[in-house]
Amino acid sequence: MSTAKGPLKGRAARLGRLMPSGPSSAARTPFVLLVFVLLGGGLIALLLLNSALNQGSFKLRELKDRTTELTDEEQALQRDVDDYAAPDALERRARELGMVPGGSPAFLGPDGKVLGDPSVAVAPKPDPTPTPTPSAKAPQTTPPNTGTGQVRTAPPAAPPVSAPATAPTTSGR
Amino acid sequence: MPSKEPPRRRVPGPARPTRPRPASAGARPSRPASRPAPRPAAKRPGPRPPARRPRTIRLGSPRPRLRLISLGLTLVMLVFVVRLLQVQAVDASAYAAKADRYRFQDHTLSAERGEITDRNGIALAASVDAYDITADPKLFTPEESKLPDAPEQAAALLAPILDKDPAELAKKLRTPKSRYTLLARKQTPQVWNQIKDLKKVYGEKSRATGGTGVNLLGGVLSEPSTKRVYPNGELAAGILGYVNAEGKGAGGVESMLDPELAGKDGKIRFTESGGRQVPTAGSQGTPAVPGSDIELTIDRDIQWAAQQAITEQVKKSKADRGYVVVQDTRTGEVLAMANAPGFDPNDLSAANAASMGNAALQDAYEPGSTSKVMSMAAVLEEGKATPGTHVTVPNRLHRGDRLFKDDVDHKTWYLTLNGVLAKSSNIGTILATGQLGDTQAESNRVLHSYLRKFGIGSPTGLDFPGETPGILAKPEDWSTSQQYTIPFGQGLSVSAMQAASVYSTIANGGVRVEPTLVRGTKGPDGRFSPAPAPQESRVVSEKTADTLAKMLESVVDDREGTGNRAAIPGYRVAGKTGTANRVDPELGRYKGYTASFAGFAPADNPQVTVYCAIQNPTKGSYFGGQICGPIYKKVMEFALKTLHTAPTGSEPARLPVTFEPTP
Repeated sequence: MSTAKGPLKGRAARLGRLMPSGPSSAARTPFVLLVFVLLGGGLIALLLLNSALNQGSFKLRELKDRTTELTDEEQALQRDVDDYAAPDALERRARELGMVPGGSPAFLGPDGKVLGDPSVAVAPKPDPTPTPTPSAKAPQTTPPNTGTGQVRTAPPAAPPVSAPATAPTTSGR
Repeated sequence: MPSKEPPRRRVPGPARPTRPRPASAGARPSRPASRPAPRPAAKRPGPRPPARRPRTIRLGSPRPRLRLISLGLTLVMLVFVVRLLQVQAVDASAYAAKADRYRFQDHTLSAERGEITDRNGIALAASVDAYDITADPKLFTPEESKLPDAPEQAAALLAPILDKDPAELAKKLRTPKSRYTLLARKQTPQVWNQIKDLKKVYGEKSRATGGTGVNLLGGVLSEPSTKRVYPNGELAAGILGYVNAEGKGAGGVESMLDPELAGKDGKIRFTESGGRQVPTAGSQGTPAVPGSDIELTIDRDIQWAAQQAITEQVKKSKADRGYVVVQDTRTGEVLAMANAPGFDPNDLSAANAASMGNAALQDAYEPGSTSKVMSMAAVLEEGKATPGTHVTVPNRLHRGDRLFKDDVDHKTWYLTLNGVLAKSSNIGTILATGQLGDTQAESNRVLHSYLRKFGIGSPTGLDFPGETPGILAKPEDWSTSQQYTIPFGQGLSVSAMQAASVYSTIANGGVRVEPTLVRGTKGPDGRFSPAPAPQESRVVSEKTADTLAKMLESVVDDREGTGNRAAIPGYRVAGKTGTANRVDPELGRYKGYTASFAGFAPADNPQVTVYCAIQNPTKGSYFGGQICGPIYKKVMEFALKTLHTAPTGSEPARLPVTFEPTP
């Protein structure tokens, strides 16, 4: 109270002696500028860094969305392919093209030798031919107009006609 | 001590104004003297006269007060320090974790379920992205939507997209006092995109007209999920099984190999702001490990042929069910395992619970004559007979408590052992197996040991869920009639897979290879690890197996054989028919028949075994040779073509079937 007005005594006096007295010899302006530049530069750098990171996060999200979209599309296309490639669909389409299930397999060797009993593949329903292919009694979904006309013949027993190794093939594969 | 604290003297200063009162009492001159040491004076009231007492009433000495306050402060600080230590050091990790829980959001990265493919890598089961379409019924109330019939309008828009009944959707959207309703499960992303587009259109419309300002479809939402799809529908459904609503395997291979297929869910935690990850805050977690792909031994095309053939015949014969098993004779790999009726794993709601299993492995039934081949194997292997051994088959045979007969009434037959098999004579088989031991008990034991070696009465080794081991009693427990019926396949039960395996064993030169259904797994790293090699065990000698194959050929190619309808022109086919009395599972007694056919081709270089059985055919023929023979032929032809198996070109064995009795 009353002591505050008087000259510094004791500890306060000792502390007071630590304070520099008289004007500083260093120029003040460059230092202030330096501090401002440091502060401002730091702030701007931080800002840039942050916005770059945020930009990256936006980009990430965008790309993730795109991935999802493409995955969806791929899965949809795969579904279409699967639908076409399913054996049932293949069989149906083969029948629409007039194909009929082959009978017993027969093989044509490279030397022209025929293994197995080649027979004419017949459409299941129409006129019974003597060839013993009772296996061909699959569900008859084909319109009758394809009939026996669209018969895929196996090479007859003797002549080595140009034919694939497996003579009468199936519709399934 | 007091002399060391001169500044402290200032503290009691404020007490001074109170002093005038005691001063007026006349004690003023003594006051300055007491000043330098007020405390000793207060502590020692003894020497002072009692008259001084009123003058010493002061606010109190500051020292005890200061001490008390500093003590209190110290205690408070101590409490703080202790608490600080507790928070910062002792329980630090617990509090840090608690803080993290609010700062970080945990997200599960669901692992992708592995595919199931056939032996050529064609997907039979795959997982795709899907959405559950949900809605918030509160947003469809008249107050919220500002429309009297919002649910009906929305339902009319959504019904064609979701392929549902509008009335049903409207009912769901009208759910009172609810904020959640599930409109449709597992819809494709395309469906959700359509709804999103529609939502956008209505959103613009509501804003443009300025009318209601409320999006009609604003309350329709979606939840991402995954869906298991089976691109081939019913194909191989019994083997593949299905997954339940949680996406876990609940049947078939899906359940058998669920741990491999499911993979391991991952976790990620990051700070979130507006649903977006804060990039600077960092994230941590473990990535999801996708499930392995399972490659089955199934060939999709053969499976299709088998399934189509059996489904058609079961329908035609109005039978309960039917099975076809196709097995590679040398490796034991199952190429096809078809059941009819089947189910569509894509739509379990429409499936019949009774047909949802894999009946070819889960049904145990009496095989009938197809099991005679095991009796013949025992007789040949024990050297008790040769294919040419003469067997005189009477019209009736009295054994135990019963009179046995063949399925056709005949005069006395003069058959070779080969003929007994070709004509499927029960009496002949009883006579032949009677030779296995000196006594009937001995014969039973020998036959039992062969049946066991062929795999009857024990699981096949597939480890398929719900698989039956079949029923085969111990020889001591065979009843009087059982010991004569078991040789021709009644009184014991097998599964279709076991029956097929018996024929594969003979086809494979007498070595039984455990059937396998899984070729291997392809891990998330893309490396294929093949399944362990199946166990092999020799059941009969190669010579016996060869002889049996020739005998089985007579069944199919002999004019008098029972299996002519299974003949494939150009090929040597071995097979055996079976027509068993069937135990009706509901009645518990014999009713109806089990028709079956088993065989392999080519007989002299076997590649494929095909087994077919039809339970309880009620329309048309019930003979195995009549209804299963053609299926065998159809499936075998298809398999031979698919596997590019050429005929061997050798001449059939044509072992004699009958002999001329010498009078």
